[in-house]
Amino acid sequence: MKKSIIAALSLTLFLSACGSDSAEETDEMNEPTEGISDEQAEDTEQTEETRTLTDGTGTEVDIPSDPERIIATYLEDYLVALDVTPVVQWSVNDGDSIQFYLEDELGDLPTIPYDLPYEAVLEHEPDLILIRDAVEEDQLNQYRQIAPTYVLNSSPTEWRDTLLELGEVLGEEEAANQAIDDYDARAEETAALVSEQADGESAAAVWLVNDALFVVHPERSSGAVLYGDAGFEIPEVVSQLSADADWAAISLEELAQMEVDHLFFINDDEEQTLSDDRLWQNIPAVINDAVYTFDSQSAWLYYGPVANTQVLTFIEEAIHSSN
Amino acid sequence: MLKHKESFQTVDKSLKRTVSLFLFLLFILLIMCLISLGTGHLSMTPSEVWFTLIGEGTDRNALLLFQFRLPRIFIAILVGVGMGVSGAIFQGVTQNGLADPGIIGIHSGSGFFVVLYLYIISLQNTQLTGDSQFSQISLPFAAFVGGLTAAILIYALAWKKGVNPIRLILVGIGVNAGFSAALLVIQLRMAESDFNRAIVWLSGSIWNSTWSTVWSLLPWILLFLPLAMFKARVLTIMQLGDDMATGLGTSIEKERIYLIVIGVALASASVAAAGGISFLGLLAPHLARRLVGGKYQRLIPITACIGAGLLLFSDTVARTLLAPTEIPVGLLVSVLGAPYFIYLLMTIDD
Repeated sequence: MKKSIIAALSLTLFLSACGSDSAEETDEMNEPTEGISDEQAEDTEQTEETRTLTDGTGTEVDIPSDPERIIATYLEDYLVALDVTPVVQWSVNDGDSIQFYLEDELGDLPTIPYDLPYEAVLEHEPDLILIRDAVEEDQLNQYRQIAPTYVLNSSPTEWRDTLLELGEVLGEEEAANQAIDDYDARAEETAALVSEQADGESAAAVWLVNDALFVVHPERSSGAVLYGDAGFEIPEVVSQLSADADWAAISLEELAQMEVDHLFFINDDEEQTLSDDRLWQNIPAVINDAVYTFDSQSAWLYYGPVANTQVLTFIEEAIHSSN
Repeated sequence: MLKHKESFQTVDKSLKRTVSLFLFLLFILLIMCLISLGTGHLSMTPSEVWFTLIGEGTDRNALLLFQFRLPRIFIAILVGVGMGVSGAIFQGVTQNGLADPGIIGIHSGSGFFVVLYLYIISLQNTQLTGDSQFSQISLPFAAFVGGLTAAILIYALAWKKGVNPIRLILVGIGVNAGFSAALLVIQLRMAESDFNRAIVWLSGSIWNSTWSTVWSLLPWILLFLPLAMFKARVLTIMQLGDDMATGLGTSIEKERIYLIVIGVALASASVAAAGGISFLGLLAPHLARRLVGGKYQRLIPITACIGAGLLLFSDTVARTLLAPTEIPVGLLVSVLGAPYFIYLLMTIDD
């Protein structure tokens, strides 16, 4: 039951994350931001300097130049990449469930419920709040009374843009560029390994949750890593199915038709016995013993430089194990 | 049957009793407000609450009280009044003790129209943020249209040479299911931000109440609550049955429509602010009836107090029980209300 709630929650998060079409705004992000002004700093009595940036709602937000108590839930991945530590971390189920793949980096950072109740936010006395999901303006205004609240411009499906934007907001542009360079270098290694050991072979990431199968979008989340960065071939069925969700529903029949060589199978339930199914047994990846199982807490379901790097590692390990 | 035989003294006495009960309930409500102000994820001592209220507290406490907790308390009270009194009106008009606007589909009708309205707005205005102040104020109107549609639908479908109370409830439950299904269809077509917005209040939650929600609801309560009081005498007469009421010079059909409009207005505005909180319109009038009997001149003020108190209590519990995580208050009210509804169904004579 608990598991299914988490699964449903994360599913809605993923599905909803792709709803907004902020392509235009993303373009703007690539240009230098013009909104920065120093006038604001003179107006305020505080000795602290602030910069003014225009956020995703078109609001001018005064960003403290050296924010120390940052709340940026579900953006922790990017903060880790920028070597910035927030004061709290995203959680559901009253703190029971966090982004476990970041456990090493975040440790036992206090948790905050995913829906950011006002009082919980106030409790941690943030000096900067970073938000990705578009919340109601009323709600946003409440947060703004606690601390400067910046809603991201960049699209949730573009982790590079998100990282660069956060780098700009936090004054860590260099770290952001460095993290992207590091990642690209890392991705090249993986791509080299794939083309060496599994040239022209196809792969798919499939998530089994509550008896339903989902396949990753070829340009999003771990799909972008699998195909775009590591260079696996995209099975035809995958590109047909993927519409506007990070994970598209797929039937076992369609999965069987996919003729996929490597199957990254995300499944928490070991009792789940797809392996008895005839359709399952006929998948090339199953026949060749190239099914790699992960739990849903692993990086496959997430976005961001840390998640993606972990996925690269998973892919490399998989290739080594299959040979 | 009529009260004209009663001596002035007894009338005076029971009036006095109602007034003192009313004042007592108001006092309880005030105490609850103060308790509610002080409790929550971040607790405050009574002295901190006091100093903040008189303007000598810290900025943080002022923010907590005036921006986060006070609007919420106001909303709980207004919605409690709206839904409670609306329930009392529906029970009077239909002469049916089970008529709760939530159960018979007024809430889901309102909800459906609000979500439809938000959806249409989102189609026309692709901007991330519309004019939120405007949409906040227009929400109760959309809800009102939806509530009226549901009421007309229920009445028309249940009509069979008059309206049988049990048939009305059954048709209402059907209409409720229909609107809920339609709601789901629209929700699935919505964009992310509007979907979230719809989800938040469909669960019957007032956690993100702000002052603008208060201002959009307050006029509705201030306008329709006195109207309900003004029509209380008619409601009392209606209790005697249609024939008797007509005999006493009441034009039943006209008054009934008038009263339904008032009831729908109170319920819809509350739904627009807080989502569908079921059973409140059932619980509050019934408890009030136990205390002061069926005379609507007394019943309405007492119902208003009890409704406000119940919702304020539930909301305080909802936000402290698992703090900082919140339980939707509608859920908590249902936990209280559902067993009572079943009890009523089991004991009703037909």
